[in-house]
Amino acid sequence: MSDVTETESLEPPIADTADNPVSGIDQTAGNFSYKMDYEFDAGTGLSEKTVRYISSVKKEAPWILEFRLNALKQFLAKPMPTHWATKDLENINFDKIRYYLSSGQKPKRTWDEVPDDIKKTFERLGIPEHERKFLAGVEAQFDSEAAYSNIKDIVSKQGVIFVNSTEGLREHPELFRKFFGKVIPTGDNKFSALNSAVFSGGSFIYVPKGVKVAQPLQAYFRINAENFGQFERTLIIADEGAEVVYMEGCTAPKFSTSTLHSAVVELVALKGAKIQYITVQNWANNVFNLVTKRGVAHEEAEIKWIDCNIGSRLTMKYPGVVLKGRKARGEVISIALANDGQHQDTGAKMIHAADETTSNIVAKSISVGQGRSTYRGVVHIPKHLKGCKNNTECDALLISPNSRTDTYPAITVRGDRNSVQHEASVSKVSEEQIFYMQQRGLTEGQAMSLSVNGFINDLARQFPMEYSVELKRLIDLEMEGSVG
Amino acid sequence: MSQLEIKDLHVSIGEKQIVKGLSLTVRSGEVHAIMGPNGTGKSTLAKAVAGHPSFTITSGDVLLDGKSILVMQPDERARAGLFLAFQYPSEIPGVSIANFLRAAVQARLGEGEELDATAYYKRLYSKMDMLQIDRKFTSRAINDGFSGGEKKRCEILQMAMLEPKFALMDETDSGLDIDALRIVADGVNALRSTNLGVLMITHYQRLLSYIVPDHVHVMWDGRIVKSGDKSLALELEAKGYDWVKNELVPA
Amino acid sequence: MSQSATETLSATGSFTPEVFAAHLASVSHLPAWWLDRKREAWDRFNRLPLPKRTDEFWRFATLSGLRLDGFSLPGSVPAGSLGHSPIGIVKSGKLVFANNRLVASEPISAELVKQGVIFETLQNALLHHGDLVKAHLLAHAPKLGSEKFTALHTALLNDGAFIYLPKGIELADPLAVFHYAASPGAAVFPHTLVIAEQNARATVVDFFRSADAGTHFACGRNDLIASHGAQLTYVAAQTWSRETLSFQSNSTVARRDARVTSLNLHLGGRQSRHESHSQLAAPGAHSEMLALTVAHGSQEFDQRTLQIHQAPHTSSNLLYKNALLDQAKTIFSGLIVVDPDAQKTDAYQSNRNLMLSDEAEANSLPGLEIQANDVRCTHGATSSRIDPEQEFYLQARGIAKEAADELLIFGFFEEVLSKLDHQTLHDSLRDLIKSKIKKL
Repeated sequence: MSDVTETESLEPPIADTADNPVSGIDQTAGNFSYKMDYEFDAGTGLSEKTVRYISSVKKEAPWILEFRLNALKQFLAKPMPTHWATKDLENINFDKIRYYLSSGQKPKRTWDEVPDDIKKTFERLGIPEHERKFLAGVEAQFDSEAAYSNIKDIVSKQGVIFVNSTEGLREHPELFRKFFGKVIPTGDNKFSALNSAVFSGGSFIYVPKGVKVAQPLQAYFRINAENFGQFERTLIIADEGAEVVYMEGCTAPKFSTSTLHSAVVELVALKGAKIQYITVQNWANNVFNLVTKRGVAHEEAEIKWIDCNIGSRLTMKYPGVVLKGRKARGEVISIALANDGQHQDTGAKMIHAADETTSNIVAKSISVGQGRSTYRGVVHIPKHLKGCKNNTECDALLISPNSRTDTYPAITVRGDRNSVQHEASVSKVSEEQIFYMQQRGLTEGQAMSLSVNGFINDLARQFPMEYSVELKRLIDLEMEGSVG
Repeated sequence: MSQLEIKDLHVSIGEKQIVKGLSLTVRSGEVHAIMGPNGTGKSTLAKAVAGHPSFTITSGDVLLDGKSILVMQPDERARAGLFLAFQYPSEIPGVSIANFLRAAVQARLGEGEELDATAYYKRLYSKMDMLQIDRKFTSRAINDGFSGGEKKRCEILQMAMLEPKFALMDETDSGLDIDALRIVADGVNALRSTNLGVLMITHYQRLLSYIVPDHVHVMWDGRIVKSGDKSLALELEAKGYDWVKNELVPA
Repeated sequence: MSQSATETLSATGSFTPEVFAAHLASVSHLPAWWLDRKREAWDRFNRLPLPKRTDEFWRFATLSGLRLDGFSLPGSVPAGSLGHSPIGIVKSGKLVFANNRLVASEPISAELVKQGVIFETLQNALLHHGDLVKAHLLAHAPKLGSEKFTALHTALLNDGAFIYLPKGIELADPLAVFHYAASPGAAVFPHTLVIAEQNARATVVDFFRSADAGTHFACGRNDLIASHGAQLTYVAAQTWSRETLSFQSNSTVARRDARVTSLNLHLGGRQSRHESHSQLAAPGAHSEMLALTVAHGSQEFDQRTLQIHQAPHTSSNLLYKNALLDQAKTIFSGLIVVDPDAQKTDAYQSNRNLMLSDEAEANSLPGLEIQANDVRCTHGATSSRIDPEQEFYLQARGIAKEAADELLIFGFFEEVLSKLDHQTLHDSLRDLIKSKIKKL
């Protein structure tokens, strides 16, 4: 493309040198080769140049470029939140990351280079052949035209708009600009600022008044050439009375050369609307997955986050709902599994801003091996509100002697016309329980799997069928590995 | 024809010796009962044979068809044909009876063999009906919130589905009223066959009126001190455990 | 508002080097090691800054209220001027402190003295039981955010209660200590140190009171150390004046098979910060942490706790109940930490807030950091109003709304009070609560 005015200097291909932008990756995953395409190379490191480059490649309107540049300033000014978050964040090297890549530059590996345990997982989860190559990073693109066009037909008939962020802002600014960057302001935190500067890909969805989309919309089929999944930006608007379910991610382990994923998801449910957002995250174990997700629920609207975190080295994600209109309802259902070398730091935020609003949080975590799971929650009910209710339940299951769990909720209630209830517990699978199941012929590993699946059963059932089946299989795999 | 042989078994919990040299052989088709006062080691015996981790076998052996099972993990012993009906069955939240039993039945099939779901559910329902367990229970988490009677019936349901060679029943009658007892006993009696050997452990004679044993053994202070037929149970009932202490235990 | 709330406040206020020098001179007869500790603490007080908005340990607290100005180390007052009312319980002994000095006492019986029980002022103990005191005095400082104020306490501590219970002693009646702030602007530093040896059993009660309605500053500390099999019950009832600023930091160490129950009643003060730390140091240890708070007007009660399990087979149980009226504010932050080797720990924590007005604010931060896996830990926090069903039930029986509410509020507190195995103590605490509520 001839619009590009400058290019960064070329990086040598391959090489596991310290300067390699893909350093930090588990080297046992094999070496990669990539084809360099000058015109789409924004280089490594984050600077104004990078941001301008991204904006120009996408041919964005000036207001978007300004939005990005302003975000860049905020990102650079903000400190890392290590006064409350894990110090592991300090291991992120912002200078070594590539902030924009198009298909020509996407690193690939051969199928032979894919580790055996990943292949085994695909097998166990029953992932279809043609999807495996995409997930494993052998193919840069998921060829899902058939499935994708099906959905496209269904939704366009109803007037639903389902495009990526670039297209959304370019073709439908009158719909999206109103809410873009308003649910999660750029300066909300360091990583929302980062995303606001370099976002690319993600889904922009608008559901017209009264339209109830029967089929869940899947991000899966929306991944196109450019979308790397690194700095996705999603905005879903459900107009009055509309209903939509959106799903992203999959239980299969997802390969990524980028060590930093920082997505932003904004949801707006107008009066009487319902949005359900389902995420299953299983990024490879080298990834820092730092996501900001928030929804605003207007009068009598409902927003439900169903979140399952299995992969990544560190995930920090606290889906939230601002209950802005009377009788709005917010819910967060969360399952987290932390194995060796993983830290799932997740939670929920419920901000009540109108009367008779209710919020419900159920979070269950499992820590295996040396894994660590943390729950952080905020429930805020300010004064002069009445009839508000919150219920929070968070339970942690510790499997191995060194597994670790932390819980840090913060609850503020004002006034005598609201009520809040928070309960948390930590336990392990009891020896008696295991023996009972073994006496019925199940091996220790099978007994563990069954117990753990039982622990999350109520929550797993809220996922769509295909996810919950895969989830169960994934847990079986993890548990088998954990038992000596 | 199978045989479960307990040979001069010594079992301890930590430092404390509980079973102090017990020998007993149960053959397929036989129903044995062990009676004795509380604290004499009856439950310990059952759990130790099943491989419970809290107990240590300090000497002696347990052979199933001539092969020692003491080196086997609890699940291996189970798959080899041993079933323990627990005195206090575990509650397993979130795991339904249907799924739990499926897993257990599946565990006994060979590599690559798949369970026929239709046949499985047909069998499951027929056993549940026989044991008067409401079919709705299949989706309830196992033992979670069950009454004493429901738990014991659930144990027998599992026994019926898993078709063991030898069943050890640990105080199955404790906590049951007459009606529940009758249902449980009918269930066990329905399973009696030449392929099943049963060892019932009980404190009261009552159960033995419903599940009539071929052999009765009296346990005292970790050993069997007298054996006889079903009339021994009645004698014990009439004379009480003090009689055992006075007459049967060597001074 | 980006400027820190405490930037405009003086970090040392009335507590100037002159004040410290004068105090040190007045205690120069005490052992040198103690004076050195005081000097170190004074340095620390000056070095440490006031809490900042970003300090996790001070989340939700009103930092602008931490004003250290307008106080002074008060002169002595006669016991008669206190308006001391007897509490009506049979005691094994009593010590009354006013303005940091002993003004009255009822010593323990000669029999108890012969058996080795010590119930004395801290100053006497420093002089006559130096080694014992040195081993335990301020040995287990909680680190829950008030380090600056605990340093101030150590620096300006003049006198307090020292209680030593030898092996096997069982005291039938409680030991009572009264701490009065008795002049306008008085800064008092109450201190109670209880050491219980193997299998000792006793109850100790601390009363914190203002003799007048003036503005006072209270910065106190207590340490309970329970050895093998000891059983200690500790009750504290705080009724400072409406304008008092109060800091209190309490620490409990429970060794093998020891059981410690601690109940704190909070009624007074303008703004009060209470930190309580329980260390379950050896197998079989158990700690029961109880608190009751009635907050009205614009009172603020900030309670931070830590239950730390360092050995296997230990248990702890925390129940903190707050009743909030008017525009009062409470903060509860409780952390349960289980060390990697502390298997078979049972730890429970519950914070219940009863909201009795439209403007009251309750904040809860229950926390868990669990590193052993064979444990049972739960925590819960509930904030709600009086149950309308229960209210209606009482009204349907002919009880007027105010009376019904009062019954229900006391019912709310009963769960905590009933854990006290001492009827008269239970009753006198009830009376204290009652008299506060009646005044509202």
